[in-house]
Amino acid sequence: MELTWGLMIVIYLFAAGLSAGAMITSNLSYLYGGQDFQRVSRVGALITPFPISLGLGVLVLDLGSPFNFYQLFLTLELSSPMSYGSWLILIFSIFSIINFYLWLPKKFQIVGQTLQLEKGKKLLAKIMPFLSVGVASYTGLLLNAAVRPIWNAPLLPILFLVSAFSTGVAAVILIATLSPWERARHKELHVLTMADVGLIILECLLILFIIVMGRFSSDSESVAFGSLLYGHYAWIFWLLIVGFGLMLPLLLEFMELKNKIPVKWTWPVTISSSFLVIFGGFFVRYIITYAGQTSSWF
Amino acid sequence: MTIRMGFVIITSRCIDCDACMVACRSENDVPLGHTRNWVKSSGVQGQFPKVSERFQPGNCMHCDNPPCVKVCPTGASQKRPDGIVIVENKKCIGCKYCLTACPYDARFSNPETGKADKCTLCLHRLEQGLEPACVQTCLGKSRQAGDLNDPDSIVSKLIAQYPTRILLKNVGTGPNIYYIDEAVPEIPEGK
Repeated sequence: MELTWGLMIVIYLFAAGLSAGAMITSNLSYLYGGQDFQRVSRVGALITPFPISLGLGVLVLDLGSPFNFYQLFLTLELSSPMSYGSWLILIFSIFSIINFYLWLPKKFQIVGQTLQLEKGKKLLAKIMPFLSVGVASYTGLLLNAAVRPIWNAPLLPILFLVSAFSTGVAAVILIATLSPWERARHKELHVLTMADVGLIILECLLILFIIVMGRFSSDSESVAFGSLLYGHYAWIFWLLIVGFGLMLPLLLEFMELKNKIPVKWTWPVTISSSFLVIFGGFFVRYIITYAGQTSSWF
Repeated sequence: MTIRMGFVIITSRCIDCDACMVACRSENDVPLGHTRNWVKSSGVQGQFPKVSERFQPGNCMHCDNPPCVKVCPTGASQKRPDGIVIVENKKCIGCKYCLTACPYDARFSNPETGKADKCTLCLHRLEQGLEPACVQTCLGKSRQAGDLNDPDSIVSKLIAQYPTRILLKNVGTGPNIYYIDEAVPEIPEGK
């Protein structure tokens, strides 16, 4: 078929994952890291509303009848991941904006008392991880439900979940490193980098499983995955995803953890490795969205 | 028994005149560049001098188990009790999810309305007791439509008499276009 869902949808899938990942990074840093992880918790909370807002914007613009979008919220169709997903991202977005406010520096918090706000922070930090997991993985269920080769891979929701967290952690590392204000401490970055290394390894395994399972499924699916391995999408898959998006940042982050990077190089290396993770995460969404549509059953 | 509307298409009777596509476009005001039905060619088959080409007309299969209806987030895509799959324009937001879910690529996004568009089995004509436009116009009588559950219908009689095949059986959609490839010298009488 011709391309029905284009770049707008890719941007949305990526942005929703990024926000969910940054949110959960912030929540867990706050819950388990406490005062020592104040900075990264704050960075995560403050960046979360922006990617998802951008994603929702392009999503509505991509509709054939954008002014009719409210129809989504007049019903709940449980068989349609887009229906429950819309409710989920609506709630997530509202909470992420409240959470944003709670993490603003005190002088900007014109409403509410400090003690209450602190309670709110703690409560949201406990609720948001569940919503984040939902937002990050339903995008995989969304593609699953439109039974197409590649899109029907049963591990797709898990891959999107792991990729979302990986890009979310990387975004927090990137902004916390670049930020002139409340720049993250070494210890915070060290823990986040460790988490990201784990997530990248998990993501590599998931991609491997998905491809092996696909290649051993029906002919239609095998051919579809062939387009990633040696066909039309091979250069994106091998160069942009496997090379620049997974192996290179994995190597850089591993060297960072082992303190193999000379001090004057730490800053640029941290920035480039986290940027590459985000870059790779984008192309994971891209390749799956596109390759799923250019392949069909036969 | 409940009504189950569908098609029988006899490929051996199709000459690729595309009159069904023209009739549909004119009946349903389908915008240029898009179509609700089609005629696909098998390409040249066999070795010279024994060559052949088969034409396979198609449109929405009005599936028993329509993926387009399942994924629709607003309930705009519906399967009617008589089996016809329709889009309720008022509810459609144009998200194009159904387009991606249809394995037959039977839907398109109508640039004039911003809605998902597809074959309605000429519901408005059926209500007046007429045949769908593509069926009425078909000069080879290749296209037949009717109630697949009614043993007296032309479609049921054809299915009873000739071997049939459906498209993408493995995907599990339960399509309601039955294809007959054998020569059918005479179309049976029926409803």
